Amino acid sequence: MEETMTDSTPFAPGRWTDGVLPANARVGLNSLILGDHAFKRFHSRRDLALIIGEHCTMDGVHFALGEEGRVKISDYYYFTSALLLCELELCVGSYVIIGWNATIADTDFHPIAPAERIADAIAVSPLGKGRPRPQLVRRPVIIEDDVWIGPNAAILKGVRIGAGAFVEAGALVTRDVPPRARVIGNPAQIVGEV
Amino acid sequence: MGTPRTLLWDWHPGTIPHNVVLDDTAYIETSYSFSLYRSRAPVGLRMGRGASAYNDTIFDVGPDGRVSFGECALAVGVRIICDAEVDIGDYTLMSWNVILMDSYRVPFDPAGRRRVLTQAPVRTPRHLEAEVPARPIRIGRGVWIGFDVCILPGVTIGDGSIVGARSVVMDDVPPYTIIAGNPACVVRRLGTEEINHGL
Repeated sequence: MEETMTDSTPFAPGRWTDGVLPANARVGLNSLILGDHAFKRFHSRRDLALIIGEHCTMDGVHFALGEEGRVKISDYYYFTSALLLCELELCVGSYVIIGWNATIADTDFHPIAPAERIADAIAVSPLGKGRPRPQLVRRPVIIEDDVWIGPNAAILKGVRIGAGAFVEAGALVTRDVPPRARVIGNPAQIVGEV
Repeated sequence: MGTPRTLLWDWHPGTIPHNVVLDDTAYIETSYSFSLYRSRAPVGLRMGRGASAYNDTIFDVGPDGRVSFGECALAVGVRIICDAEVDIGDYTLMSWNVILMDSYRVPFDPAGRRRVLTQAPVRTPRHLEAEVPARPIRIGRGVWIGFDVCILPGVTIGDGSIVGARSVVMDDVPPYTIIAGNPACVVRRLGTEEINHGL
């Protein structure tokens, strides 16, 4: 398995070193997915749930997709141990770097209203067999080209990160980030431009 | 160079690089910690008496990188990204998911990042190679770093300080200071009585 990480000859199509790709995943030329947890939480039933472009490296990743989740990633993408939680849509541009242990989620998974949340707790418990969950709030996350996302950062639902932006390590991003802005903090604030 | 060093208790079929200097009483849980280690410095990692690196601590050390653990320094699942120098003082404790990075590895300028990313898939193993100057990280003696903390390039942390969980540290921290927050700021200084307690 290790040799695919150390072989620099381009290969097609892309591979997952630790198993067989789901039928609804397309991985482009020379793209590499490593880690046995990559598809453990991949539950999407969409025809094309995961589309990854060319020359991408995903060294340790969780594609945690719900039944309707769809992830689209362009080319020359690099990340280590990122957690991608997607119930609706995640779009990532080209030349994007995501640092170790970063999280991206397009939903909060549970409702805000306490009574609804109690209903949700019951629905997801062992007692809730077949009981429908309350409607989740889902909003697509869009990460444009040339974005850098630091280690331990988190991007929450509905956020668009503009081209060339720089999200510092540990930042928690709850609002859109303009192109080429540098943000830091919890919640993330703009501190400059790159 | 002698025979490659292995760890008797290792779950990973790797070896300890030749320029890693371990005290006889130091402990490394697994050679997997060296999967991104590329240092060609005379000593790329030095671990002092009783120093230890547990769990998935990763030494992502570039060709010129040098990491040093002082006496009884403890890392439990720490990611060390080092292209110049990361120096950890005696008796310093570091919790899980802590990031110590002395370099961003890529330029702030998006065009420069494209260059690095274009090269990544043809490197062996695949990795981002530094194109920007690194700024050493120095962590003093008896520092305590909570979980999920990020220490950014160039930061120095003084002796005896405490960094609260999930803090992001961009600026130097004086000795005997408690800091917390993202970005981190000073919560308070330890008093003379606390500093001298148990001496």
